[in-house]
Amino acid sequence: MTVATGQRAVEAPTGRIVVDHLTKVFGSQRAVDDLTFTVEPGSVTGFLGPNGAGKTTTLRMLLGLVSPTAGSATINGVAYHSLSRPLQTVGAALEAASFHPAHTGLQHLRIYCAAAGLPARRADEVLDLVGLSNAAKKKTKGYSMGMRQRLGLAGTLLGDPRVLILDEPANGLDPEGIRWLRGFFRHLAGEGRTVLVSSHQLAEVQAVADRAIILNLGRLVRAGTIEELSAGTSTAVVRGPNLGPLQQALAAAGLSGTTEPDGTLRVRADELTQIGHLAFVNNVELHELSLEEFDLERLFFSLTEGAHQAHALNQPGQPPQITFQPNQGDAR
Amino acid sequence: MTDLIRSEVLKVRSTQVWLWMILPAVAFTALGTVGTVYDSIHNDYRHGDQINYYSVFTQFGGAAVALLVIGVLGLTTEFRHKTITPTLLATPDRWKLIIGKSISYLVFAVFYSILCIIVNFAIAISWLNAEGAPVSFGHGVTGGVIKTFLSLVITALFGLGLGALIRNQAAGMVIGIIYFTVLDGLLGNVPKVRLVWPYTPGGAASAFTSKGHNDNIPTDIHQIAPLAGGLIFLAWAVLLVVLGGNVSLRRDIS
Repeated sequence: MTVATGQRAVEAPTGRIVVDHLTKVFGSQRAVDDLTFTVEPGSVTGFLGPNGAGKTTTLRMLLGLVSPTAGSATINGVAYHSLSRPLQTVGAALEAASFHPAHTGLQHLRIYCAAAGLPARRADEVLDLVGLSNAAKKKTKGYSMGMRQRLGLAGTLLGDPRVLILDEPANGLDPEGIRWLRGFFRHLAGEGRTVLVSSHQLAEVQAVADRAIILNLGRLVRAGTIEELSAGTSTAVVRGPNLGPLQQALAAAGLSGTTEPDGTLRVRADELTQIGHLAFVNNVELHELSLEEFDLERLFFSLTEGAHQAHALNQPGQPPQITFQPNQGDAR
Repeated sequence: MTDLIRSEVLKVRSTQVWLWMILPAVAFTALGTVGTVYDSIHNDYRHGDQINYYSVFTQFGGAAVALLVIGVLGLTTEFRHKTITPTLLATPDRWKLIIGKSISYLVFAVFYSILCIIVNFAIAISWLNAEGAPVSFGHGVTGGVIKTFLSLVITALFGLGLGALIRNQAAGMVIGIIYFTVLDGLLGNVPKVRLVWPYTPGGAASAFTSKGHNDNIPTDIHQIAPLAGGLIFLAWAVLLVVLGGNVSLRRDIS
């Protein structure tokens, strides 16, 4: 929320992130193209996209490290460089190797404690929070990737900020670390903080995020809550020796889907009762009737690689899928 | 600003580089002092001539290369180890960062310079006393010590600006060292170029630390007063810091 005082915007500690028509052009390449989205407080928002989608550039513009070609990005209604106490407002970890190799983890954190006017003991506290107390006096050049990630996370917590921005925080973490991270995010969001996390680990994002923002080629392709994104994306898988009568019945009932080359029907449906009933009343033998529920990874690939997949399906030798649609005039 | 300076000082103190850089600073000072005192005693004092106290007590100026390197490391280390990202997240105002770093490195430069003065005085005074030679800080010697001290501090600032401008650590150090140790001496001897040499960083620093009006350069070169030399050298250092800061301000940190 921007609070206007005369002509000047001032910070309102809402924890809201607003990206408004943000664009970044590097030479002839539009790394980020007219991107607009908001991130709400009290939620974990997954920031997704394939390599080169513009995620890191967007985060860097949001944090004032890269200047936008057009548009704006604000936190609490102001640009990052206008925040009066940046580390107390936003905790950000962008890369897992931003440490001087000769500094210990504790020294690294104490340097930024000093810069933010925080007491030195805060460095010890956050190291304890991320489980790195035992390695506090070890030089960062001896840290494993997972330890570096944890140290980066510790850095984000120094100022006890309301907003956390993390770029691929799960990289290098072992399964135990990933599980810890998941609980950590939920804990932070439960405290009303804003957590924006870019990740390639889609299953992890789906497990922990309330919302997702999906980018491709610098553009926003989908944004919303996980519920919104999953609406209408579940698929019923139907197998049997002769599904022709069922396919006609499904179309008559207003259900659409595809028939795969092996005869399997994939029907867009959120539950199986109606399909099972139609199979029964049409005397159709079924070998399988199952529901493939929402999968963020599948949605992600369908949104970011759809063109590639369509191209592949049109190659010679690829058996075509047959689409069936609801009969016209049928009520759903 | 106080928090930023504390952070920058802590950043330097947390590595061993500042300790290791004491070695060349002290070594250059010690070697220069030993050589000059030896020369003054054997070629001047023992022949009944006046000892060149100005030269003896300003030999700690040899630490300039170490100060230059320390200055260059100020920003280039941040880029080399990518710590520039967390640094700018903590201090997003890049001009404030440049000013904070400048002040912090001036603090270190003062520490190094004082240390080198102590080494210079300790060697020179104890040796002169051992030879039974008088020790004098008159005839402009005290002023020379102060000017050389200030020259070292400005050199650190010059290095910081050079590092901000170049960003590459190795390139910054090589360019800085080659300029002050080789190129500067050559420029002072190249026909025509030598006429503007007093206005170059090296020429201005030389004028600043000289006893009189460029008493160390031929008289066909337009002479500049030591104070003017100091101001020109300071202007060069500030120009580099401002240029480096401006370049850093425009650059994306990616």
